[in-house]
Amino acid sequence: MANLADAIPTRRPKTARQGTDLIQKLAILLAVLLAVSAILAPLLTPFEPLQQSLLARLRPPVGFERHAAGHLMGTDELGRDVLTRALYGLRLTLALAFSGALIGLLFGGALGLVAGLCRGWIEDTIMALVDMQIAIPFTLLALLVLSLMGSSLTVLVLVLGIAGWEQYARIVRGEVRRLAAQPFLEAARTAGAGPLYMAWRHILPNLVSPLVVQFTLALSNIVILESTLSFLGLGVQPPQPSLGSMVGLGRDYMPNAPWIVLTPAALIVVLTFTVQILGDWLRDRADVRLRDR
Amino acid sequence: MIRLMLTTALAALPLAGAAQEITVGAANVSAYLDPGRDHSNVGSQFYYNSFDTLIDRDHTKLEPEWVPALATSWELVEPKVMELKLREGVTFHNGEAMTADDVVFSLNRMFQATFPPYVVRSKDRLANFASAEKIDDLTVRIHAEREEPLWETLVSLQQVAIIPEDYTKALTGDPAVAEDSDFEAFALAPVGTGPYRIAEFQPGEKLVWERFDDFWGDAAPLERATVVQIAETASRLTALKTGEADIVTNIAPDQLSLIESDPNLKTEGSATALFHVMIMNANHPKLQDPRIRQAMSLAIDRDALNEALWLGKAVVPSTHTMAEMGALHQPDLVTFEYDPERAKQLLEEAGYDGFEITYDTAATYYTNGLLAAQAIMEMWAAVGINGRVNVQDQWSGNDPEMMARNWSNPMYFADPFGSFGVMWAPNGPSEGEGRFNTDEDYAEKWDRFRFSSDVEARKAAYAELMEEIRQNPPVLPLYRPFESWAMRSAINWAPMPGHIPYVLDFRAESISLAGS
Amino acid sequence: MTAYLLRVLIRSAVTLLAIVTLTFIATRMSGNPIDTFLGEGLTAEGREQLIRYFELDRSLWQQYLAYLRGAVSGEFGLSFVDRRPVTEVVVERLWPSGQLLLASIGLTVAVSLPLGILAAIYRKSWIGSAVMVVAFAGYAVPSFILAIVMMLVFSYTLNWLPVVGNGSALHFIMPTITMSGVLIAALTRFTRNAMLDVMGQDFIRTARAKGLGELAVVLRHGLGNASITVISVLGLQIAGLAAAGSVVVESIFSWPGIGQLLVNAAILRDYPVLQFGVIAVAVAVVIINALTDIAYALADPRIRLAHG
Repeated sequence: MANLADAIPTRRPKTARQGTDLIQKLAILLAVLLAVSAILAPLLTPFEPLQQSLLARLRPPVGFERHAAGHLMGTDELGRDVLTRALYGLRLTLALAFSGALIGLLFGGALGLVAGLCRGWIEDTIMALVDMQIAIPFTLLALLVLSLMGSSLTVLVLVLGIAGWEQYARIVRGEVRRLAAQPFLEAARTAGAGPLYMAWRHILPNLVSPLVVQFTLALSNIVILESTLSFLGLGVQPPQPSLGSMVGLGRDYMPNAPWIVLTPAALIVVLTFTVQILGDWLRDRADVRLRDR
Repeated sequence: MIRLMLTTALAALPLAGAAQEITVGAANVSAYLDPGRDHSNVGSQFYYNSFDTLIDRDHTKLEPEWVPALATSWELVEPKVMELKLREGVTFHNGEAMTADDVVFSLNRMFQATFPPYVVRSKDRLANFASAEKIDDLTVRIHAEREEPLWETLVSLQQVAIIPEDYTKALTGDPAVAEDSDFEAFALAPVGTGPYRIAEFQPGEKLVWERFDDFWGDAAPLERATVVQIAETASRLTALKTGEADIVTNIAPDQLSLIESDPNLKTEGSATALFHVMIMNANHPKLQDPRIRQAMSLAIDRDALNEALWLGKAVVPSTHTMAEMGALHQPDLVTFEYDPERAKQLLEEAGYDGFEITYDTAATYYTNGLLAAQAIMEMWAAVGINGRVNVQDQWSGNDPEMMARNWSNPMYFADPFGSFGVMWAPNGPSEGEGRFNTDEDYAEKWDRFRFSSDVEARKAAYAELMEEIRQNPPVLPLYRPFESWAMRSAINWAPMPGHIPYVLDFRAESISLAGS
Repeated sequence: MTAYLLRVLIRSAVTLLAIVTLTFIATRMSGNPIDTFLGEGLTAEGREQLIRYFELDRSLWQQYLAYLRGAVSGEFGLSFVDRRPVTEVVVERLWPSGQLLLASIGLTVAVSLPLGILAAIYRKSWIGSAVMVVAFAGYAVPSFILAIVMMLVFSYTLNWLPVVGNGSALHFIMPTITMSGVLIAALTRFTRNAMLDVMGQDFIRTARAKGLGELAVVLRHGLGNASITVISVLGLQIAGLAAAGSVVVESIFSWPGIGQLLVNAAILRDYPVLQFGVIAVAVAVVIINALTDIAYALADPRIRLAHG
């Protein structure tokens, strides 16, 4: 799922940011909370994510009738602790999202750099690929590839990585071309600097800011893509939990045991919401810096 | 568990004037409808309402009791030849009268099959039949290769239901020749002689039955019945609640309490005549030692699975047998049991070194299949087997890398041959897929079981086969799953004990709508 | 302009060929369909026979060439499962999906434009912030969660809305909202940003100076100019997003559309249906994209010139 708000660069008055300061603080707090609970999941819960108890299946969260002691958010269809699985699911979902976003960054960034530095047919080819990636409904293709080839974590990470590469490629190429027109690079070139040196010394530092923004925004898209694929049974495979697969497998129990679905669903929503707000905030800051220069 | 549908049906007053229509929300609707090539659990839902066989059985009874259908009488005129007298005045849904030619055509399309999907079915259950022959307008004969102990059983199979010859041949190409494409076209526009004609069929989506007024037997109780596919369990339940469906299929035991707590709804269910089984690949390099496979089997506490996943409503068998098989039902045999200590001991004797054993399952195909798989992994772990669930939708039973997986052994007809027999015959599907081996000894026992005319001899041979399976196990029947249908309280319908699994029987005296 | 059109056409054709080839490779790499849809309990001999019958015994290259030859003359083969021409199978599924897509686009535009404009006008007050928070939230709720929660509340518990199929106007409510959730969030943000860009420009100040009311300025000049951007977003991105969303929505609400068909075909390895289905969707997306490009170029002469 491409991020729509990136297609066209935006200039926003500084004042637009002030009303949302509180929300941004909240988002930072949530982000820290989510990251800490994902990392410390094994310490936070006395249960194992795969530990079954067939005698305590489908028990509701604490506070409801028939709940099982210690299972804060209840148990699932095999008597496993829902909260524990959700925390481990959050871990896996985050790990997948980071790996996917990183692959997209490296792959797309490298192609964008090449396209920006080498003009001519190489650039044309790469940009044609970018166009194609935009034209193909990617999620649909991912669905087909995964359902046909069978899903494993490796394939899944690759699919998630490829999902957003064209955004990085466009950003990097655009930035490279913008910089290439600057007088100081002309000067460096006439002074005999090679293209690699110029890329390292002058172009990369200028790319950090837009790439960080794009990386953050891509994260939330990948979380949603991973969840959707896992929901459809094409992502993370049981018994291993991811947030999406918990919702997917738990949906049959929605009418009689909604906590199995609602716990991971709430985490997905909070996670994507947080990352979106952070990404937007980073972009605003980057815009300001660019304009101030 | 056996409900006498007759009494309930008579008690319910058919409501004059009201539209007698229902909608069924089914987990699956077939992609094609041809009783000959199909033997799936999806297809078996649909054929009985629209097709007839020559001989039928009283489906209210668990044990076979043969009743006339398109044939009014039948007898063996020679040891290997059965002669059947046909019913007069039978009409196909397209208006043509049924003739002896139609019967011979229908039978021979299976007995002497050339269309590949028919060939497959013909070989696994109808291999003993050579041909059908017309004697006169109301008489046909069926010729068997060897003396057949299961005449009525096999002549009443869904696969030899009667279809119209001229109609089928004229569907494509030369109207005088039965081409493969005719049979393909038939599967999308099926025509039979049953009480409901198929008025509309959208493959995989929707099927509409309408009462067929020229039906030879008792008139259909419903004016119209629509089956729509609702794949998602939660959507099916919701559709019943919103009134979009009157009956929904495939309700897991976990959901029963939801239905039962609603005064307008009820459930009907039974332990279906089908085993969910675990199969093990006897030819996998790591599983060739039978002791490993015995341990995999002995480690599984099937009663615990039943209690936890089926609320105790499933039936756990001691051997591959079912009560429906009448005289051939042998519940005293103990082929499969739970003995974790023995499992540990066997693993040690076999020198099991902790290698990983994979267990393949599709995510949703079998009710509770994925749950059972995960629970079995815990049970294996308890005796020291290092198991891992591998979720994939693709069938892996013919993959040499497959170690263990789930499967089902339905009762295709009420005889051990119709359940264990179809799947585990010499050169049958299991051996053909390369995960099960038979030798001459097994084949000899098999032959005695299949063809002995004396029931006791058949039972003894079957017990010998079961002993071979126990010694060198390729399969473990887990349980007969408890399958449920949920419906509005006003509907009187329940699965009947004399049917193969999953049949939606809406014929006279099988369903009625009360009050409303 | 002709050169530009030609460029769009060639690019579209190349994209389509790439998609055909990709799906062909992906399907053939994924195992034998016989094992999937007729898999259980086949004898080895029966299996061979069926493989020959479905012409899967030919080499991949032969199958590919045969497929391309057929495609040129409009023959895309028969479904493996129900043996109908795939063109028929796919085309009858396109319209229900199209209806849902149109309804979703309608809802998206009807909700997003006012919200986006509101957020732009009141960007300094709590109204603007509130709109943006709602937009973020919409983006953060994946469609499958929205769908099952709505179903639990409005159908299972309240019995207000039907859940199966596309039989009536009521049937459209939940699927349309599900499909639109993400789109509304995205388009609202987009409209706001585009409006802010436009509103800061000189001709708006001129319009204000001429004494036009704020509402007139916003609607006539602001929205008119921002609409170019909005068109491009709708065209370029929505088709892709919708194709993905339809898979989820159609499977949950038993909507007889193309998304459900493709997922089922993939599970059954029904290659012919799968290939033609993907091609049909891709053609639709490519056409929408090409039309958007052209509309965009017509609306904004700078682009036409830039592409030469």
